[in-house]
Amino acid sequence: MRRARALLSMHTWVRGLWLLALAPGIAFAQAAPQTPPSQPAGGISRAWFVAGGAFATLRGDCQECEEDFPYRHSGAVLVDGGYRVNARMDVGAEVFWMAIDTSQGTIRTTHLDAVAQFRPWASHGFFLKGGAGMAFVRNWVDTLSPDSFNQKGLSVIIGGGWVVRPTARLGMQFFATQHALALGDLQASQGLINDVIGNRWSVGAAVVIR
Amino acid sequence: MQMHKVEFEPLKMRRVAVVMLGSMLWGVSLFAAQGTQEAPSLDAIGPPRMLSDQITHFVADSVAQTAGQPEWIVERRACEGCPPRSVGRALFQTTVVNVFYGLANLIRGQVTAKVTPKTWWANMEQGWVWDLDDFVVNQIGHPYQGNNYFNTGRANGLSFYESAAVAAFGSSTWEYFGETNHASLNDFINTTLGGIALGEMFHRTAWLVRDTRATGRGRLWREIGATALDPITGVNRFMRGDSSRVTDKPADMVPSNLTAFGSAGVLWRGTQDNDFTADAQAFVEVDAVYGDPDKGHSRTAYDAFAMKLRFGGGSALSEARVRGRLLGQPISNGAVQFSVVQSYDFQKNDAYATGSQSFEGAFGFTQNLSSTTRFWMLGWAGLTVLGAIDSLPLGLTEVPEEEETGDAGQGVSEGPRFYDYGPGSDFGVTAIFSRNDRPFATIFYEGRHLFSLDGVRANHFLQRGRVDLLLPLHGAFGVGVTGEYFDRRTFYQDAAATRVNYHYPQVRVYFTWRLS
Repeated sequence: MRRARALLSMHTWVRGLWLLALAPGIAFAQAAPQTPPSQPAGGISRAWFVAGGAFATLRGDCQECEEDFPYRHSGAVLVDGGYRVNARMDVGAEVFWMAIDTSQGTIRTTHLDAVAQFRPWASHGFFLKGGAGMAFVRNWVDTLSPDSFNQKGLSVIIGGGWVVRPTARLGMQFFATQHALALGDLQASQGLINDVIGNRWSVGAAVVIR
Repeated sequence: MQMHKVEFEPLKMRRVAVVMLGSMLWGVSLFAAQGTQEAPSLDAIGPPRMLSDQITHFVADSVAQTAGQPEWIVERRACEGCPPRSVGRALFQTTVVNVFYGLANLIRGQVTAKVTPKTWWANMEQGWVWDLDDFVVNQIGHPYQGNNYFNTGRANGLSFYESAAVAAFGSSTWEYFGETNHASLNDFINTTLGGIALGEMFHRTAWLVRDTRATGRGRLWREIGATALDPITGVNRFMRGDSSRVTDKPADMVPSNLTAFGSAGVLWRGTQDNDFTADAQAFVEVDAVYGDPDKGHSRTAYDAFAMKLRFGGGSALSEARVRGRLLGQPISNGAVQFSVVQSYDFQKNDAYATGSQSFEGAFGFTQNLSSTTRFWMLGWAGLTVLGAIDSLPLGLTEVPEEEETGDAGQGVSEGPRFYDYGPGSDFGVTAIFSRNDRPFATIFYEGRHLFSLDGVRANHFLQRGRVDLLLPLHGAFGVGVTGEYFDRRTFYQDAAATRVNYHYPQVRVYFTWRLS
């Protein structure tokens, strides 16, 4: 199996940092109404919306491969929309999109997950997040074979972070997440590649609107 | 909205408790032997009232505490018989559970238990993988371990959904830091989702056993019995002194209804090559329905669930199923009942093995055929987050003998593994005819599609049909006969698009007795 490493391009770093930098600016540029921390519902809608950016690292692997596959870095964006169940829990759907430039093209990955976000302490910002759904990979090139793949599979996400102003209508969250992309077997020109699974680690920030 | 008080006859309750306790203890001991690696309101149709909302209310109240306030409010309990709420203690106890399992593995000499910061970092660098462990370890052992994580939340006053997050926390920390094996994606899903389903089922069943109004030796034995079912809650109650406090049970731990049957008999199973095996296999089974899954506006998870456990019949534990209602909503003035359901399935016998974690939407319909005879039909469809099915690569007709390599160390599974993992979808329908609330005929069909992501390159389509006929004899006793047909079609994704069909007919004959 051919092994090719794509160099980390300068503009992916810049894009990731730009997204990280942009998100807090949006949040703090706006005044948010204050609500008492112990009032879970008062005046705030049941909607839950999150949008932001992340810096992410992706690594593909397979169960029987002996390759030492590279870690690839790039910027990513995520959008969550859903329902605020109570003062501590939000549920909804998340789209997480990331594009990685390689020497042979751009790999685009999208996760569409059902997620739940839980804050153990209602008046504090710490949260845990988890979910599952589908992952889509478009134009997967460069690493596993010279072929280009479009593949879909199982997506699982876990993570955690901190929400600033957790009970306000407009807040800000900083997060770290890990996604798994379980893609199954890939039929490449040089043979079958078994049980391909990718992992993505990301850190980022996002605006939270309730 | 009508309020009605629910009371159970103590003798019946005791019988149910004893049988369920005995069954589950047996099951738990079997899991251990397999060597796992690792009220609402009394009114079931009352308004939704989440425990977390109640706690927020009580915590706010405690700020303005007065001398006349009951002690249980000061102790951050949602009710007098409820456990005190503490998120920190729940997360700490989850870590203690991880340490306990790790030490147990270490004592048993498993090399996977020799964790160091270096192995933690290696696991974090690698990320999730599929593991190669035994079917029973992955499909029963991990869900049972997850039930312990889940119940650290329940034992410390957290709601169902909060405890679900605790189960995910315990599962992920175990996968990364509890073993030298790389973190397993299938373990994480099975431990978390299976742990939630088994955890809430065990938690509620343990509350059936407790009698919080009793005192003395009888009370103690009930608390010990409940601890065997739900060890985490039990140990917490003994440590806090709740095991001897005289209070009411938490209202949401008292079911609006309870129906349970035990059965014992023999079964014959066949394959496409051999219609039925020559030897009958003995089995014991417990079926229980907790609450009223066919009616009620509900936002309390698992206030209604169905549970089936079968021991024997081709394996030590051949079947375990839990279906818990997450949400219930009457439609058309109650003519139709909509529910969102979480399902845990496990089946293993000498012919096939399958298991799954799934969520379904279900529509139910009830019709009174006469003053004593009732017909209930339920149809469902949903998504299987992760399913498992035994399989063979193309060209193999039976599982080859395992070769002992011996150099990997105890507890390290090197494969090959002869079952597949993948997500999919499922659907089904069941119709139950009952007379005086006692079922006498059941028709059941379920289909499930699994898209294999780990294992052979194939799609699997599983179908199960079943007909139960039950005849009452005297009092609580009766006899029953069941015909079942399990059909599996595997669509290999090879150049020839090979398709293989397996089918397993089964007949069961048994005595049955009503426990409640």
